[in-house]
Amino acid sequence: MNSQIIAKTSIFEVISPRLRFMIETLGEVARRPSALIGGIMITAILLTSVCFPLFYGVDPLEQDLLARFTPPVWQEGGSWVYPLGADNLGRDVLSRLLYGSRVSLLVGFAAVLVAELAGIFLGLFSGYYGGKLDSLIMRMADIFMAYPFMLLTISVIAVLGNSIFNLILVLGLSDWVTYARTIRGSVLSLKEKEFVEASRAIGTSHRVVIFRHILPNVISPLMVLGTLRVANIIIWESGLSFLGMGVPPPMPTWGRMLAEGRLYITDAWWLVTLPGLAIMLTILSINLLGDGLRDALDPRLRNI
Amino acid sequence: MLQYLFKRLWHTVYVIIGISVISFFFIHLSGDPVMLMLPGDASHQEIEDLREQLGFNDPIYVQYLRFAWQALRGDFGNSLYYKIPAMQLILERLPASLELAAAAMLIALVVAVPIGMISAVRRGSLLDMGSMLGALFGLSMPHFWLGIMLIMIFSVNLGWLPTSGRGTLAHLIMPSVALGLSLMAMFARLTRSVMLEVLSLDYIRTARSKGLKERMVIAKHAFKNALIPLVTVAGMQFGFLLGGTVIIETVFAWPGVGRLVVQAIFNRDYPLVQATVLVLAVIFVAVNFIVDMLYMYLDPQISYFEDK
Amino acid sequence: MKKLSFLTLGVFICLALAGVPAAVAASDTLVVMQEAEPVGLDLMQSSIQTTMSVCYNIHDTLFHPQEDASVLPALAEKWEKVDDLTWKITLRKDAVFHNGEPVNAAAVKFSYDRINNEALKSPNRGKLSAFTELNVIDDYTFTVKTAEPYAPGLYMLGYYLPIVPPKYIQEVGDTKYNTDPIGSGPYRLKKWVRGEEIVLEAFDKYYGPQPAYKNLIFKASPEEASRIAALLTGEAQVISGIPVHQRKKIQNSGKAYLTPQMGVMPYMGINTYEAPFDDVRVRQAINYAIDKELINKALFDGQAIICAGPISPRTFGASPNLKPYPYDPDKSRALLKEAGHPDGIQARLAYPTYMSQIQEQAEAIAANMGKAGINVTLEPFERAVMWERYKGKKHQLYIYWWDDAPEPDRYMYSLFNSKSRDYYYKNPAVDELLDKGRTIMDRTERAKVYAQIDELLYRDAPWAYLYVVPEVFGVANDVDYQGRRDGFLNMRFAKPKM
Repeated sequence: MNSQIIAKTSIFEVISPRLRFMIETLGEVARRPSALIGGIMITAILLTSVCFPLFYGVDPLEQDLLARFTPPVWQEGGSWVYPLGADNLGRDVLSRLLYGSRVSLLVGFAAVLVAELAGIFLGLFSGYYGGKLDSLIMRMADIFMAYPFMLLTISVIAVLGNSIFNLILVLGLSDWVTYARTIRGSVLSLKEKEFVEASRAIGTSHRVVIFRHILPNVISPLMVLGTLRVANIIIWESGLSFLGMGVPPPMPTWGRMLAEGRLYITDAWWLVTLPGLAIMLTILSINLLGDGLRDALDPRLRNI
Repeated sequence: MLQYLFKRLWHTVYVIIGISVISFFFIHLSGDPVMLMLPGDASHQEIEDLREQLGFNDPIYVQYLRFAWQALRGDFGNSLYYKIPAMQLILERLPASLELAAAAMLIALVVAVPIGMISAVRRGSLLDMGSMLGALFGLSMPHFWLGIMLIMIFSVNLGWLPTSGRGTLAHLIMPSVALGLSLMAMFARLTRSVMLEVLSLDYIRTARSKGLKERMVIAKHAFKNALIPLVTVAGMQFGFLLGGTVIIETVFAWPGVGRLVVQAIFNRDYPLVQATVLVLAVIFVAVNFIVDMLYMYLDPQISYFEDK
Repeated sequence: MKKLSFLTLGVFICLALAGVPAAVAASDTLVVMQEAEPVGLDLMQSSIQTTMSVCYNIHDTLFHPQEDASVLPALAEKWEKVDDLTWKITLRKDAVFHNGEPVNAAAVKFSYDRINNEALKSPNRGKLSAFTELNVIDDYTFTVKTAEPYAPGLYMLGYYLPIVPPKYIQEVGDTKYNTDPIGSGPYRLKKWVRGEEIVLEAFDKYYGPQPAYKNLIFKASPEEASRIAALLTGEAQVISGIPVHQRKKIQNSGKAYLTPQMGVMPYMGINTYEAPFDDVRVRQAINYAIDKELINKALFDGQAIICAGPISPRTFGASPNLKPYPYDPDKSRALLKEAGHPDGIQARLAYPTYMSQIQEQAEAIAANMGKAGINVTLEPFERAVMWERYKGKKHQLYIYWWDDAPEPDRYMYSLFNSKSRDYYYKNPAVDELLDKGRTIMDRTERAKVYAQIDELLYRDAPWAYLYVVPEVFGVANDVDYQGRRDGFLNMRFAKPKM
């Protein structure tokens, strides 16, 4: 009877300090100019990625074979019909960049989310319960770490086949180890703290302790790690496209535009440079923001 | 100490077994190579015969045990595609991969560590901000794009360097730079942040108050401590480098292991994939072991006698 | 600071060594760069183009096949038809292997038995399946028999039966022979550094004319930009694997020229067993939906040869009466409507990612078909998966390619005879004609039969017929080399250009 009352009220008490903490952190981040710039950039990129059909409606799949390799508008031979040029099948590069942003960002964030979820669960249970479970999970982690990443993803895709879902799954599941280890470390140190022991003494179930008391306290390093990994995932996706194993065509992704454009690098520099720039700017803004987040949240994390 | 070594040995063993099981599982799930080995007009009978002969009809655990038993005796079988022993192929290509990884690592460290250190010492200066921004750019650049640009500029347009292949030192420069750039960025940032932290530690302040020259303070005390995380990350990255160079190897026609194994996966060349994955894993684990040994030298405070 | 000076020193060393020029080939050395390295050097154990190219410099066969599917003597000096099923062949007496063993009838018999040996699993064995036996008559004469009259016989022997040294192979075994071969060709293997280069040197006791280049080096670079850069900087003098859009660059460079070689014939197969493709009108609709002219102009610079039926226009036997299916999306729609699909159809188009330029073609073709009401989902697969699914009859539409060999039986039989493949199409009338075509010895008569096959398949449209894309080699200006339609880099024919 007593424990039920305690359980009900603690939800509210748990959330609003979290909210306050988040707002404080945002304030911290905003005070650093580089992080602010990063934050603004990535917000702009995300907004553009979502809203662009409202003011630029060119079909990224529309081919015009005779217009292939039209250069961007500022070069000789360019025109406003293809502001950033046309690719090898006469498709509009700007439109493909815009649509491609959705896929690349989606794969990037979703894969990190999958990795984080997997990492959180495994890290939490491993750290909290300890013992055999911990041993098992950490050994799996060792094995995953030692397995060359590219080979793992290629092998799995060879089995599962090409699709955006599989890609997200594979990229995510190959990356869980760092998150799991970080969380586990935090859990291990928190486990011994008084408020946890007090909770257990009253009789709170393990599940509640894990998710309501421990998790919110260990999540901040993960946000930082996650933001920084999105960049990596986007580059890995482009690497997989390079090898022909990325998102299936004709859906444009920045990675595939790079891989395909590389064939024409000497004649149509814009096919490689522009997606490359797009990737670089996106990753740059994420990294700036991530750095700022890390500085604001936890000085201990500066080594990541 | 002995107990610690045993623990490490056990760790190595289960990692290797785990990896071999996983890779065996995946490559067999992805389909069998028999159809690729025979020409298009081979009859069903011929395909079945070959499958039987190579043992692919047995249940998967039997196949695994057979593989494991032979592997323990050093026999990894013949590559299905090249028809010579798998281990021989790997050993032929391994020096090239090691050379590339080592060169990339060397370039990265030689450039990044000084930059990181100077940035930390002159925190907030133009040099600091400039080099950190540069590092961010380096981290954000896809390395194969960089590789092709390097070929275009330095080989085709300027004629200074050979376009591809392996041979002289000149052949090594571009691929290792392309590979090393993101490493460089990572190490620079890491060195800087670790140095910043160490510089603010109490004992550095004490050393300074004793009147030692600033330079000595930095070099001796700070750097040695900064080495620990640097060495960890470098060790891990070296392991990653060995397995992840396939794209650079393709662009530069570098005869390394990365390309060999990716082609092997596409060819469903089981023995070659298995053997390569194992070799790479062993190297990774070995490098980590060396790194841990270096720890003991660098920081005598760390003890291995208690449970980790 | 110590670190800084170290750094400077390092940079200087690097720059200094970078200044060392790449090894310039001596004038009696020819460097050839392909897309891939050979898998082995035993011609009997491989059917991969890049491997066979190198092998043909080391191994000789009985005949030199010509561009019009006839043959000239090589190791065989003269031959005669004893009857419709038997040839009697006499070897020249002065040919020796690189290790001194004589090239005699015993060696020929050994080679014949070896390639037919099940244990070797030669991928070329099937190509010689028409031959039933080979009998030695004396030291330099033998007869070879077929079950039925087989017109392409000598041509096939000229490509797929290399003559190999019995004593050497029995000594070293098949595995070692693959890495250290001994042949009877104009070049012998000096050394093979796997992953880097294969060095061959001219065989001084070769029976034929000495090749103009004493040293021949084969290298490999999978990246086309690297190969082209190598040609333009003089690192390599002959390269293969040049995509269409780079060809102008080579021609305009003033340092190299192009020479035509093999034609690649991509085609789109249709699964005729599966509805709606079992209706010939639907298949013809597909043919009308593809704008081959535009694709040719845009993707191949107008260099491709448009195909009417399955037989390449460059090969004898192609019917002179056929014109390629014109681009007519309205007719496509009309045919689809007639076949009961007024709203168009859905189709899956599979293609293997390892084919060059395949991505572009697949996307362009899919877009074309879309305009005619055929909604295509693209399915790229890697080589192994594509092949497995192909054999498993899982594709609806698929793109593969063949080379347009001068001998029509070479590919028509493999691709259309149901004894060879019946995964997506079976036609007894075609089978009968194909069987007949390979038994007629007279060329004009043969051509008539193949023309019939061509027309039959044109109307029945089990494929969407596309085009032949002529491949080229890039050759440096100081080398004189003509590419051949078989696409093999047989460098005995190369010589320096004055």
